[in-house]
Amino acid sequence: MANLNIEAKKQNTYDAIVIGSGISGGWAAKELCEKGLKTIVLERGRDIKHIADYPTAMKNPWDFEHRGQVPLDIRAQYPKGRSAFLREETLPFALKDGIQPFVEEKPFTWTRGYHVGGKSLMWARQTQRWSDLDFEGPKRDGFAVDWPIRYADIAPWYSHVEKFAGISGNKDGLQELPDGEFLTPIELNCVEQHLKKVLAEHYEQKRHVIQGRCAHVTEPQAIHLKQGRAKCQHRNLCNRGCPYGGYFSSNASTLPWAAKTGNMTLRPFSTVHSIIFDEKLNKASGVRVVDTNTKEMIEYYAKIIFVNGSALNSNLILLNSISGRFPNGLGNDSGLLGKFIAWHNYRGRISAEVEGFLDKMTDGKNPSNGYVPRFRNLFSQETDFLRGYAAGVGAGRGYYSSREGIGEDLKNNLLYPKLGNWGVSSWMMGEIVPIEKNHVRLHETLKDPYGIPQLVTSAEWTDNDVKMVQDYIEQFTEMFTKAGFKNIKASDGKSNPGSDIHEMGGVRMGYDPKTSLLNKWNALHLCKNVFVTDGACMTSTGTQNPSLTYMALTARAANYAVGELKKRNL
Amino acid sequence: MNRRIAIRDLTLALGGLVSIPAWATDGWNTHSFQLNQSFLKVSEQNMLEVIVETIIPESTTKGAKSLGVPAFLQKMLQDCYEAPVSENIRNGLAATDTTAQKQFGKSFADCDTQQKQQILLSFEKSQDTKLKDFYSLVKNLTILGYTTSEYVQTEFLRYNMAPGHYYGCVPVKK
Repeated sequence: MANLNIEAKKQNTYDAIVIGSGISGGWAAKELCEKGLKTIVLERGRDIKHIADYPTAMKNPWDFEHRGQVPLDIRAQYPKGRSAFLREETLPFALKDGIQPFVEEKPFTWTRGYHVGGKSLMWARQTQRWSDLDFEGPKRDGFAVDWPIRYADIAPWYSHVEKFAGISGNKDGLQELPDGEFLTPIELNCVEQHLKKVLAEHYEQKRHVIQGRCAHVTEPQAIHLKQGRAKCQHRNLCNRGCPYGGYFSSNASTLPWAAKTGNMTLRPFSTVHSIIFDEKLNKASGVRVVDTNTKEMIEYYAKIIFVNGSALNSNLILLNSISGRFPNGLGNDSGLLGKFIAWHNYRGRISAEVEGFLDKMTDGKNPSNGYVPRFRNLFSQETDFLRGYAAGVGAGRGYYSSREGIGEDLKNNLLYPKLGNWGVSSWMMGEIVPIEKNHVRLHETLKDPYGIPQLVTSAEWTDNDVKMVQDYIEQFTEMFTKAGFKNIKASDGKSNPGSDIHEMGGVRMGYDPKTSLLNKWNALHLCKNVFVTDGACMTSTGTQNPSLTYMALTARAANYAVGELKKRNL
Repeated sequence: MNRRIAIRDLTLALGGLVSIPAWATDGWNTHSFQLNQSFLKVSEQNMLEVIVETIIPESTTKGAKSLGVPAFLQKMLQDCYEAPVSENIRNGLAATDTTAQKQFGKSFADCDTQQKQQILLSFEKSQDTKLKDFYSLVKNLTILGYTTSEYVQTEFLRYNMAPGHYYGCVPVKK
């Protein structure tokens, strides 16, 4: 019997465990496998193979039985589903309700991607670098704790992941949004260029419109072809999965790359229950996994563990990793685990009509959009709220047809649409100042179908957020007015926290174990072979879409971990 | 670009680096909405057909009926709408005939084009919200089915699944 156990334990032992196969888990897998570590990647959902499992990717509008609308009986399985993914086109990636119930102590929108690839199949693919103006934010403005890293620490890793992922962008030379390793940029359209000029003139070159840097292969390099990825076809059908590999996802890029090394074992249907802490060795020895098909609990063992379960789930796993040494969750002597949850403020929106440019139009599709980097409180505090916001901005000109009338007139309207006027819109992406009160914790009694405690989300907007929305509305109304745009409509959508799908924090990085959970290498201060490199590690939020930073932090931490293993420090 | 060409181009773009999955090589019926059983009686189906064809008629260009829009409507109403909505459709179909009898002394199908249009347009402005909803839904679904058909998309609406480029500022094409 004892021999059998030893044999079983050996079979379930790897060099590294990666929890989660999304955008950061994929990077952990790639880096660790490339460095020769036998790595098991645990994914709670089903497998999605690149191309083979994108069943709607090449369907035409008329190929969809209900033209995209989801039949009632299927819809009933997703009562809380986000409408954006409840379409026939994207249904393969929607999350059925009941898989993981959670308790919204205060309203919170939690969008999850439970399948191999996670949200890397569903993301907006915007990839802006942070600058020191972001990393120095908490220290300068006196909130959260000081980031234990600066731009110089992460810059080479931004380059590392950008080259592999394929990032299209223009070298804009902005201190607040550092340039990266860019493929051919996508151009701004006539109206976006006009706005760029107007802002430069009216705001002393301090407000900019650039093309958002995005994870699209506009010009495949050898490294992309080697991944089996081709040029972006400008289909803008990205959220069905891209059979060309035109944009970066774990499925198209990092996971197949890791698999090719022969070192990766991918185990779908594996929900991690907790991390096992070995009190004798004073480090983690493995994880407990619930097989979601059989509900059987299985243990896997490894020298290092990467936690990439998506921000809130990584919190949940650590909170649920209870041991004699850590009764409040792994590495949580400070009691701060699960606290300082933050996200991005996407409440402000504005749209307007544009006069003129009637002899010009666009041709093809832009998978990115215009981007206004943060200009508020950049170099010094200048408003009555802390930090600031970036904004997406996009102009366009479409065809329209009148739906009035009946018979031959109606038909001719529909068959021969007219070119409309230009329109322009923008949406804010505000930094959230993390506060202790905004937190997640385990529910005392409620469990999910796998016997794992349900997560309680308790987070709400603060005055700082509301003031920022107001400022966005005022400033963009002013900018749009200066640009001559007409019929300007701005609003505060008052969306739930989390609606931006950028939840962050709870396991923040910092210098001091008393005030943070992770050190500058994303390892738990108190359990040094456990690394958290997804959104949970974020000390502050910046305004940038966060995925690129998770990728860079993950690659950096993985390479550090391999080095430490070699030095026998872990 | 239609699906066949799109898949050929996909194969070319990937240069044989990855194998093409089953969903791309299996042929499938583009008229995928097959109606096994309608919630409408045959007489109601006929009525719906006449209404749909009145909204978007056949002429030198194809109309809604020949593009299969009536079957699409039934599929949509059956699968995507609650029972009270489909019930209101049945009532609306009956009311259409009653209105025709009252105004022109004949069935809706026997009315001439102008009379049919007159009846439906009166629904659009009707104080009876149920009648108004009935026509509004039938008209919107007819437009949806018609404008997303392969014929209209490819022959009229410049459908191009994979443009392959984005130019931000080009002269308007006449």
